[in-house]
Formats: sequence, structure tokens, C-alpha cells
Amino acid sequence: MLSFVFRRLAVAIPTLLILVILSFVLMYSAPGGPFNSERPLPPEVLANIEAKYGLDQPFWKQIVNYVIGVVTQFDFGPSFQYKDRSVNDVIAQGFPVTLTYGFWSFVVAVSVGVSLGVAAAIKQNTWLDYLAVGVSIGAQVLPNFVMAPILLLVFTLWLGWLPGGGWEGGQWNYLIMPVIALSTSYMASIARITRSSMLEVLNTNFIRTARAKGLPMRRVIWRHAMKPAILPVLSYLGPAFVGMITGSVIIDVFFSTGGIGQFFVNSAFNRDYSVIMGITILVGALTILFNLLVDILYAWIDPKIRY
Amino acid sequence: MLPNKAAVEGVGDAMQLAEVKGRSLWADARTRFFRNKAAVASLVMLALVAGFALFGGTIAQYENDFVDFSLIGSNAYLGVPSVDTGHYFGTDSNGRDLFARTVQGTGISLMVGVVGALVAVIVGTLYGAAAGYYGGRIDGIMMRTVDVLMSIPFMFVLILMLVIFGRSIFMLFLGIGLISWLDMARIARGQTLTIKNKEFVEVAVATGVHPIKIILRHIVPNLLGIVIVYATLLVPNMIIFESFISFLGLGVQEPATSLGALINEGSRTMQFGYHWQIAFPLFFFVVTIFAFFFVGDGLRDALDPKDR
Repeated sequence: MLSFVFRRLAVAIPTLLILVILSFVLMYSAPGGPFNSERPLPPEVLANIEAKYGLDQPFWKQIVNYVIGVVTQFDFGPSFQYKDRSVNDVIAQGFPVTLTYGFWSFVVAVSVGVSLGVAAAIKQNTWLDYLAVGVSIGAQVLPNFVMAPILLLVFTLWLGWLPGGGWEGGQWNYLIMPVIALSTSYMASIARITRSSMLEVLNTNFIRTARAKGLPMRRVIWRHAMKPAILPVLSYLGPAFVGMITGSVIIDVFFSTGGIGQFFVNSAFNRDYSVIMGITILVGALTILFNLLVDILYAWIDPKIRY
Repeated sequence: MLPNKAAVEGVGDAMQLAEVKGRSLWADARTRFFRNKAAVASLVMLALVAGFALFGGTIAQYENDFVDFSLIGSNAYLGVPSVDTGHYFGTDSNGRDLFARTVQGTGISLMVGVVGALVAVIVGTLYGAAAGYYGGRIDGIMMRTVDVLMSIPFMFVLILMLVIFGRSIFMLFLGIGLISWLDMARIARGQTLTIKNKEFVEVAVATGVHPIKIILRHIVPNLLGIVIVYATLLVPNMIIFESFISFLGLGVQEPATSLGALINEGSRTMQFGYHWQIAFPLFFFVVTIFAFFFVGDGLRDALDPKDR
């Protein structure tokens, strides 16, 4: 098991390095520096500023410094637009928000999706099954940027139940719409995957044996069917995580929740390269870490995997 | 219970028929597909949407970038959808004809989806087939590369690229092309691994056919079924992807537009009562995505040998 983890790490770390280098090269090759504005600065001032941000050094030195800073101190450097803030400050401000509603969205998507899928599989071809299938097909064409306006229209503008945006320290009524908007389409996918894999498992011989020896259905499901049925869901969690963290950009922009997505898009319009890079790398690191966790969990649950 | 005699004879007749006239895999798949009502209905819907995108411009009474200044300030009651004014879908918040813009947006969204799927089909299939066919170390390196690329959050890298190299439709296509082939490569490789052990490939190898020719002539045609299915399912994902970026305002730039950009504009003005500005683009978006998913599902049922 330990060697398996190490082998996965051996892939994960170069991946992360590639991401860091890729984004740095992209930034470096950008036409025009971050301080080229419509009103040209005097060359001495520009030289001073570039010296302060280390932009006057040769390319290889810049990239080595950047990578060392990121790897050893989690230091993404100063923001190019906000003079008084570093990228770390921006992340520290936005990340807890993203993490909060992201966590809840993930919990909702997985728990509701799995229970809906299992219920639909057990009660196959009943109204419950049709409802679950219908909901999951419907929800699949409602990605977060479609869900968000619809929710806002219904709950804020027509019913007036929920505030239309803001964060207020994460109170539940500010949390509810971001979570629903972010989790719906993933919940639908998880429900579909769970349903089909559960149906497949329920038709296998060992389940028939368990039923034949007189185990109650509840116990068969929980004890025997759940573990193999959950495996396809596990392998979907990686892509779902990427999708949600990407979707958080929409949520932040649409509901003004103030997560990292909002900073990301603002920086994209302001050409604040260091913030964009910092967030990209952070998200990449999270994704890689999460995929690693899923892989380990998968290897732990699935006895067929050799490691 | 004994099977009744007529049914048995019917089976016998059918078997004779089958001897007389063989059915190809594709004819088989076609009958299966056309038996699926939802898929056929979706195909018709898709044809209608495509027709709307292609020929809607001829019905539109206004150019898509024509600003109707007479409507400024009175959009709420003069810009409503109406046949009399020629603004069939009303006007957008800048006084432009929403019908013409929806036509254009649908067209661009469809184009993005199709281009993404095409890249996936060409690059992904060849890459996956090559990796699977050569196997060994080449396969290892090629598929690890795919793994590495897959674990990068591409939306963020793409936005970084859009910022650095400027926002243009070309960058958007490039970005979509960069990611769309990854899944397809995996699927094609998995299929190739089973195909390459079949006798006909062995014969080709034994008679000294060049590996590239084997891949192109013997492996790729056998991948076609599954490739078509996943390409169809990829199109809506690419449309969603593009709409996502355009929703943020980073994708297609004015005066061009896409469904994502239109939904974004509509979502900003819906609180003032201009519901049509979000309703029409949203309708076309949802219908298109729905139809592609159903057609893809139908094709999968028709072509995927696993479910037979």
C-alpha cells in the first residue's frame, strides 16, 4: 500500500511542477509587461518597479526563484495590481469562502446523488425510479451558469425568500443558492452512475446468494451491494471535483460570494498575472491532491486492484 | 409453457430471411436507433435547431449588430417580443434584435461543439489507437501524458491563455481542442487493446502491412462505432464549456455572441422584468443540450456492443 502511495506521488509531483512551469512560461511569453499602461512610465521608474518584482532578471532565474518560492514557502509573490497585497493575501481572503460552499456542495452532491441512485435502483421501474431518472436527466442540462440565474429568478425575485448574493460570513441563507447551483448537475451524474452500477451489482450471483440465505434487503444493500456499487462513483469524484472548483468561478461571479473565483475573473480582466497564476497553481495542486486521495481510497476499497 | 407454433415458424422464416439477406452492423444499428423514439425526436429537434442557426438569418428583420436607437429607454414595452415590430424575440438591453443574435449565438455554440468533437475524433482516436497498438513503453509514456494533462484544471489554464494572448475565437478553439481529445484517447486505446488481438490484425501483421496502415485501415474503422457515440456526447459538453467561458465574458467577443454570452446578458436584466432576454437563449441552449444527450444515448444503445 505504501509503495502504491509513493508511486502515485511520483506522478503527482512532476504533474504539479509541469503546471507551475507551464503557467510561468505562459505568463512570461505574454506580449507587454504587467506595468505597460496607456500612460508610459519613465524608463527609470519602470526599471525600478521591474527590479522590485524581479522582472529584470534572466528568465531561468525568475522561474527558479518562483518555483522555489512556491515549493518551499507557498509564496506566490506580490500582486501586480494591488500594491499593498500579495497573492497569498488574496488567496487567504477568498479561499475559505470557496472552501465552505464547495465543501457543502460536494457533500450534497454525493449524499443526495448516491441515495437517489440507490433508491432508484432498488425500486426499479416504479414512480420513484422514474422520478430519479427524470430529475437526473433534467439536471444534466442545467449546468451551474444556467442554474444560478434560474434560482435567483425564482427564490429572490419571485418568492423573495433568499438574498440574491453576498456572503455575510457564510450564513445559511446566503449559502443555500450557491450550494444548489453548484451541486445540481454533479448530483444528477452521481445519481445516474450509482443507479446503473447498483442495478448491475444487484443482478450478480453473490447478491442472489445473500438474499437466498435470508438476509434482509437492507442488510444486503449495506453490507454487500454498496461497496462494489460505489466504485464507479468514486472514480467520478475526481472529475466532479474539478468541475465544481471550476464552477465556483461562476458562483463567485454570479452571487458575489467573494471566493477565489471572483478574484480570478477580476484578475483576468486586470491582467494581474501573478494572481491568476497563483490561483491556477493552487487549484491544480488541490485537484492533484484530491485525485491522489481518490486513487488511494479506490485501491483500499477495491480488492481487485493490485498495488 | 410451449412456444406456439406460429412463433416458431416465424423464427424459422426470419432465419431463412437472414440467410438470404445479411444485415450489416450499421443497418442493424440504424433500425435500433430508429426504434428509440426519444432519440429520433431529438434528432428532429437538432435538425430544427441547426436549420434555425443556418437559415434563421434570412427571416430576421434586423442585422444582429443593428442598434435600434428608437427603443432606448423604452425597451420594457417597445422591445417585447412581437411579430409586428419584426423583433420576434424582442430586443436585448442595447436595443439589438434578439432574434438575429440568438440565431448567431446558436450558430457559434453549435460550431464550437462540432469543432471540439472533430478535434477529439481526429486527434483522440489516432492517439489512442497508436498508443494501444504499439503498446509497451510507448503506450506507457503516451497514456501517462494524458493522465498528467487530465489532472490539470484546464478551465483555469485556458482563462490564463485567453488573458495573455488576447480573447479571440481562435484561442477558444485552441483551448477546446487542447482538452477535448483526452477522454477520446483513453476510450480509443481501451478498444484498440481488444481489437489488436483479433485474427484480422494478426493476418495484416503476418502479411507485412505497415503498422500505420494497420492502424488506419484495420483498427480505426472498428473503433468508429464507439467514437461516434462519444463524439455525440462530447458536443454538448463542449457547448457547455464554451458557454461557461462566454458567461464570464472571457469567450466570444462582441459583436459576435454565443448562447452562454446571451444567457449572461439575459441574467443581468431579468430582474427588471425583461424575462424574454434570458428565456429565448436559455430555451435554445437547453433544447440543444438535451437533444444531443438523447441522440448520444440512442446511438450508444444502437452501436455499443456491450449492451447486446
